[in-house]
Order: sequence, then structure tokens, then C-alpha cells
Amino acid sequence: MREAISVPYLRAGFKEWLFTTDHKKIGLMYLTTSYIFFLVAGLFGLIIRFEQTVPGQQVVPPDFYNYLLTGHGAVLLLWWAIASHIGGFGNFLLPLMIGAKDVAFPRLNALSWWAFFGASVLVLLTLIPGNHIKMMWTGYPPYSASGDAGVTALYVFIIHLIGISSIATAVNFITTYIKMRAPGIHFWNTNMFVHTLIAANVIQLVGVPSLAGAVTMLLLDKYLGTNFYNPAKGGDPLLYQNVFWFYSHPVVYVQILPVFGFFSEIVPTFARRPLFGYKSMIFAVWGITLLSFEVWIHHMFVSGVPDWARVIMSYTTILIAVPTGIKIFNWMGTLHGGAIILRSPMLYALGGIFMFLIGGLTGIPNAMVAIDLGISDSLFIVGHFHYVLGMALTLGLFGAIIYWFPKMTGKMYPEGMGKLSFWLTFIGANLFYFFQMVVGMLGNPRRYPDYPPIPEWVTLHQIQTVGAVILGLGVLVFTIGIIKGLLSGEKAPDNPWQSQSLEWRIPSPAPVDNFGEEHPKVEPDYHPYKYGAPPVF
Amino acid sequence: MEQVLAYPAKWWYDAVTVWLVVAVVIYVVVAVPGLYFIMKYRFKPGEREVGDHERHGHWGLEALWTIVPTIIVLVLATYSFAVFKKQRTAPPDAMTIKVTGFMWGWQVEYLDDKGNTIKTVVTSFNPTSYDIPEDQKIVVPAGKPVKALLTSLDVIHSFYVKPARITEDMVPGRITHLWFQINKPGEYWVFCREYCGTGHSHMFTKLKVVPPEQFALWLKGETNLAKSEINKEVVR
Repeated sequence: MREAISVPYLRAGFKEWLFTTDHKKIGLMYLTTSYIFFLVAGLFGLIIRFEQTVPGQQVVPPDFYNYLLTGHGAVLLLWWAIASHIGGFGNFLLPLMIGAKDVAFPRLNALSWWAFFGASVLVLLTLIPGNHIKMMWTGYPPYSASGDAGVTALYVFIIHLIGISSIATAVNFITTYIKMRAPGIHFWNTNMFVHTLIAANVIQLVGVPSLAGAVTMLLLDKYLGTNFYNPAKGGDPLLYQNVFWFYSHPVVYVQILPVFGFFSEIVPTFARRPLFGYKSMIFAVWGITLLSFEVWIHHMFVSGVPDWARVIMSYTTILIAVPTGIKIFNWMGTLHGGAIILRSPMLYALGGIFMFLIGGLTGIPNAMVAIDLGISDSLFIVGHFHYVLGMALTLGLFGAIIYWFPKMTGKMYPEGMGKLSFWLTFIGANLFYFFQMVVGMLGNPRRYPDYPPIPEWVTLHQIQTVGAVILGLGVLVFTIGIIKGLLSGEKAPDNPWQSQSLEWRIPSPAPVDNFGEEHPKVEPDYHPYKYGAPPVF
Repeated sequence: MEQVLAYPAKWWYDAVTVWLVVAVVIYVVVAVPGLYFIMKYRFKPGEREVGDHERHGHWGLEALWTIVPTIIVLVLATYSFAVFKKQRTAPPDAMTIKVTGFMWGWQVEYLDDKGNTIKTVVTSFNPTSYDIPEDQKIVVPAGKPVKALLTSLDVIHSFYVKPARITEDMVPGRITHLWFQINKPGEYWVFCREYCGTGHSHMFTKLKVVPPEQFALWLKGETNLAKSEINKEVVR
């Protein structure tokens, strides 16, 4: 094994970070930024939760509550759920997993990062009183075009900058995968994370322009007097919803597919056996990608669109359960006959799959249009997407952070804190979101800072707050673990998990020049999940 | 036979029950073996250090767990389609009301046979409490289907009739609709469920369901129902 020749990341100079085109440094900057934003938006979430513990105004007035809710949604979706694994892990891992020196266009990659940085600055500007945006992350007109909604322009420019960043990254990653693979890496022996990453970026490339169009028309309507969405002048507010959801539904697969990739990397490694049904996993990923653009009306089941459109999209939506089901069954198949080691990344991955199972099953009533008429815009849907996007995604990301921590920092994440934070997060989240779904089934509308004092609603809200506090503690412990690992973590071996995948063949932390030459040598029978030899721990 | 409280809620509860049964069965089928595998196939030094690395998949099994879920979800979607048709089609004898949303309240218009407005109820915005004056409740007859035509004056709102488990958005420039029938006199919640700004969580009113004879009197303006017995009923 080669000696590490790189400057460890923490010792690189400020100038080196500022002007870097290194995919690993850019990845780490994405990851750090989105993690900090995750903590802030999580704090917003806690305030939102405390406000709802009992009826009446507790902590914040409704307008500020609406700002917190808008920020919580937008930041967690665009920063935590997209930038952390596309920009963060995608940048760090894609070239390493396919045996390349860097991405195809390193300077374009730096541009992506700086556009994202610009969007982050704009988000911080909304913290200033007077700049609050309170139209929810969906920004439906005519409300968002009214004076009551806050500074719509900031919202639009945030989306534009994020969009530029996303499109550039998508072009970059897809080209990298097609053109820069090491000889011997082909479609049928690529890591599942890379497969899911590329599928996610195909969705980005097709979908982002649609969202950009929707918000651009919103900007023109509000500030330049056009009437795309103004019914009084022949426009239609539902146009926005259609164009918005055409991207914003598929984006949930941009968010969750790479997390499926994490599960598929972590589960075989700690079950010490090949991923079950690798090929059907790939078909499932592309099946989800294809179907993702055919389902957006399920966000508009009660919006007044024609009944036939609702029925058609009810069928397409429910069909997505099939490929996602295949994935869950295959992970279970991987466990069968394994030699399972319950290290903290594995706990996180299994917990994430468990959350996704509940999230998937509670997605079915949202797809069944008859049930959705009774639960649309209730807290049920909020609980549901916190199971899938909130917790399955966060547990997957936490697991991934612990799993690739050695390759990123050269240190090990403290195992005890990993386990403790897992159990706190997992128990807290289930307590919180399960009862959020129950109170939603009972009819509690979403986006309510206040609610009538119906006794069972109050009880259910109090249980949720207890869950939220435990969840918050879990995140706190996990964050302290990161800092502790960085400062005083054990020195990491090159391949601590005895993984077969390419990125573990280089020293920890990953050296600046990756494999030291253009490509690593890939054996003819290479496969990332070829587990056979006993691990050395 | 137990009296049905409300339509289309009756069918909605049936559909929720069907989903819950299916979901719990699938959950057990997946989670129980999953947990069992985690217990049984545990790494043991010197004894079980390598997983089964011969099996990479099983086409039969994979086909099975593709085809069976496909059939299940298609059956569920078709069942939901059948219920949806009933939810969206008001019975021919339904009485029509017009409901217009605004920030933050509703205006409800009662029509005569020719479609002229004969009575109007307007709710007012109360940002601090969930009490509502008697004359701001939406009065409807018990046991009679009501079709509501919905629209909005400003931003998008929605009309959620809680006992009937039915929602529809109120979109400016469009007329949308829903129908419901409550069989038991009493008072029931109505909420706005589409985000509409500062007063969103206080855009609510109550549905006051009264026997048809009382409703007829109220419509003619001969009673304000203030002393009506149904006030003592539990609010659902």
C-alpha cells in the first residue's frame, strides 16, 4: 500500500480551500455547509414543535412561526436532503468509486459549489427581520405573489442559484460516470451509490428547469406585473402547482435514491456477503427514476384538477411502491445468511430501512386518492414524509458519515457515541412522527401554529414534543461525536470496514491525487460487493 | 344496524381499514423475518465470520416480490377509484350551497330552487380563540346530502368538513366542489387546510347539523337556533 502523500484536510491553508477544484475538498465543503444548515433548520423545527405542544400561542407569533416553517422545509429539502449527498458524498465518492482522478470538469464543479454558496448566503439574509419569507417552501401563488408572503424575490433567487448549481453538477457527474471510469469498471460492477447518484442527477437535469420556470414566472408576476398566475387577468394559479410539482415530486427521489445507495453500500459490508439481487436493484432504481415524472398530480389531489387526472396519477403513484418494495426485500435478502456485525453505520442503515418501511406503507393511503381526500394537507402527510425524507434519509446520512468518516478525515468516529446517538434518534423520531401521523388521521390540519383544544389532539401533540426532545438529543450527541472524532478520534486504517469497494484501496484520509496515477488497476472479476474473506477487526 | 354518522366518511373509514390491514400484514411479512435474520445470522469470531457469498440473488424470489406487490397495489388503486367515484358524485337530491373563502373566513350562500341566494352566513376572523358566535355557524339539515360549490376571493384556501372526511381546495378563478351528508344532529369542525398566511390556523368554523324541520325554519329566518337542544351535543 502506498504512503499517504496528501496534506490532511484540516491542515490545508485557507487559500487552498478557497481556490480548490479538488472534488474531495469541494465535497467536504458541501457536507459541512449542509450539516450546519441542518442543525439550524432542526432548531427551527424544535421551536415549531414547542409552539404546538399545547393550544394557544406559546413561543412565537404566527408570522414568525410561518417563517420558521418555510425555512425548516426549504433548508432541509435543498441543503440537507440534496446538497449533503449529491454535492457532499457525490463529489467525494463518485471519482473514488469509479477509479478516476477527479470529476470531468473540476472548474465547473467549483462553480457549482460557489453558486450553492451564494444561495446559502441568500438564505442567511432571510434571517434579518424584514427579509422573512413566509410562503412555505412550496410558495403557492396567489399567496406568494401577495404582500403578505414576504420577500418573494429572495426565494426565487435562492432557487435560481441552487438550480444553476444542480444543473452544473448533474452535467458534471453524468459525464464523469460515462467518460472517466477506470478500465474494468462497467455498468454491472458499479457501486449502487454511483448508480443511484447518476439516476438522481438525471432527474435533476430533466426537472430543475421546470422549477426554475415556475419561480421565474412568479417573480415576473409579483414585480413586473405579468399575469401567469393571476386569475383576474386570465392566468391560473394551478399552472404554478403543475410546473412546480413536475420537478418537486421527482426531487424526492433525488433526495432518497442516494440514501438507498448508502444502505446498499453499508448493509453488504456489515453482513459480510454480496448485495442480494444487485441487478434487480439497478432496474428498481431506473424504474423509480422513470416513474417519478409521472406522478406529480398526487400533490394536487384536492387542488381542483379534473378527476380523471387524479385517478391516472393515483395508479402511477401507487406503482412506485413496487420498485421501492424490491429494494427493501433485497436488503432483507442480503441479511439472510450474512455474518452481521452491528457497528454503528450498520445500525443506522438498518434503522433507516425500518423507517423507510413504515414511510412506504404510510405512503400508500396518500396514493389512494379516495383516502387522500380525507387526509390531504393534514399532519398525516407531514408525519409520512418525516418518516421517509426526514428520518430514513437522516439515519442513512448519519450512517454514511460514520462509514466514510475514516476516508474523509483519517480518524475513526467514536463508536460509543455512534451507537448512543442512533438509539436516541431512532426512538425519538418514531415517538414523534408516528403520533404526528395519528393526529393527522384524526383531522389536524398541517401548517397550524395553533389548534382547537380537542383533548386527544393535545395529548398526541405532547407525546410528539417528548419524541422531538429525544430526537434533538440524538442529533446533539451525533454532532459532538463528529467534533470528538475530528479532534481526538483513533487514527483510521486504510480499510477499517474491510470493504471490497475501490475507494477503500487508497490511504485514509484520501490523498489529493486519489489513486496516484490516472486509474487504479481493476481486476477482471472486480465487484464492490464481493465479500468472501473473513474480516480483520 | 349502527347508524352511519356521515357520508362520504363511511366509505373513507372502510378504505382506511382496508389499507391498515394490508399495511400491517406487509409490515409483519417484512419486519419479522428481517429482525429474525439480524438475530440469527450474527457475526461470531471463529464460528461465523463470512456471510453466504455464493448467493447473489434468486430470480424466482425477485420475480415473486415484484409481481405480488404489483397485483396488491393495482387492486388497492382500483378499489380507491371505485370509492373516489362515490366521493366525487353528489346524490341527485343534494342541496347546493356556495362557499367562498377569503383571508380568513368563509361566506356561505344558501340558494332557492332558481339558484338565487336567499340567506348568507359570513364567518369573522378571531385570532385568539376557537369559540364561534351562533350566527357564524354553517347550518345544514341532518340526513340530507349537501353539495358545496367552492371558490376563493384572494388566495387558495380549502374547505375541510371534518366529520365527512372530505377536503377540496378553493381556488380563485375556479369553481371546485365536494359533497357531504351528516346524519346525526350536532356541531362539527370545519377547517381550512391549505396554507393561506398569518390567520391560517384560525380559519375555521363549525357545521351545525339540525333536523330538517328546524333547518327550514332557520332558512326562512324564523329562528336563530340559539336555544337549540343540539348545543349540548359533543363536538366532533
